[in-house]
Amino acid sequence: MSVVAAGYLARRTAQKERVRILYRRALKDTLNWAVHRHLFYEDADLLRARFETNKHVEDLDTIDRMIADGEAQYNKWRHPDPYIVPWAPGGSKFTRNPTPPEGIEILYNYGREDND
Amino acid sequence: MALRAAVLRHIRVPVQTLGLKSNPRAPSGSIRLMSSHDDHLSKEEVADRVLSVVKSFPKVDPSRVTPEVHFQKDLGLDSLDSVEIVMALEEEFKLEIPDKEADKIDSCNLAIEYIHNHPLAS
Repeated sequence: MSVVAAGYLARRTAQKERVRILYRRALKDTLNWAVHRHLFYEDADLLRARFETNKHVEDLDTIDRMIADGEAQYNKWRHPDPYIVPWAPGGSKFTRNPTPPEGIEILYNYGREDND
Repeated sequence: MALRAAVLRHIRVPVQTLGLKSNPRAPSGSIRLMSSHDDHLSKEEVADRVLSVVKSFPKVDPSRVTPEVHFQKDLGLDSLDSVEIVMALEEEFKLEIPDKEADKIDSCNLAIEYIHNHPLAS
């Protein structure tokens, strides 16, 4: 009996994590699709409402199916050119001007001593 | 040629190491690392900004927010609300937190700790 309960809890925890990560990604994607901030707020409320409608579903298999359905929809509507923080991989500043290795110094006044 | 080799075997040119022992993050003198991220945040500043973000969240009562507060246990939020708070924190500090790590941040304390230790928070 306790094994069944433990299995139930483990499955429930995994589902909750999947839902949180799905919501997080979907919310970020909503921001990517929104041209203006005030449009994002409305879209985010709609997204939240879609998650809230299925808040009280108890059956594990139904929940799994709903999560898979949500992930499929997220993948279908994923933004082709999402915002990436500049320093992150794929961002506009990623590995641009990397810090020189330890012990290397750049002399900005190189050659000036000859001309003085 | 043999003489040169013999001389070279005995003469050592003293190598001078560059005196760059100070913190390369701190801009000192003529050294300026163009890509460096030198505005490191102090812990107080991080805590202030994290708390102001949490306080401005619509469903939160601002008077109950302290640095030790847990989003779900103390503030009465649910898990999706804490996802929204973490996303707001990411925007505030211009961070990109991986999904799995962002999922673990569930209290002000953890958020302050994570952001303070992040090298690119600004």
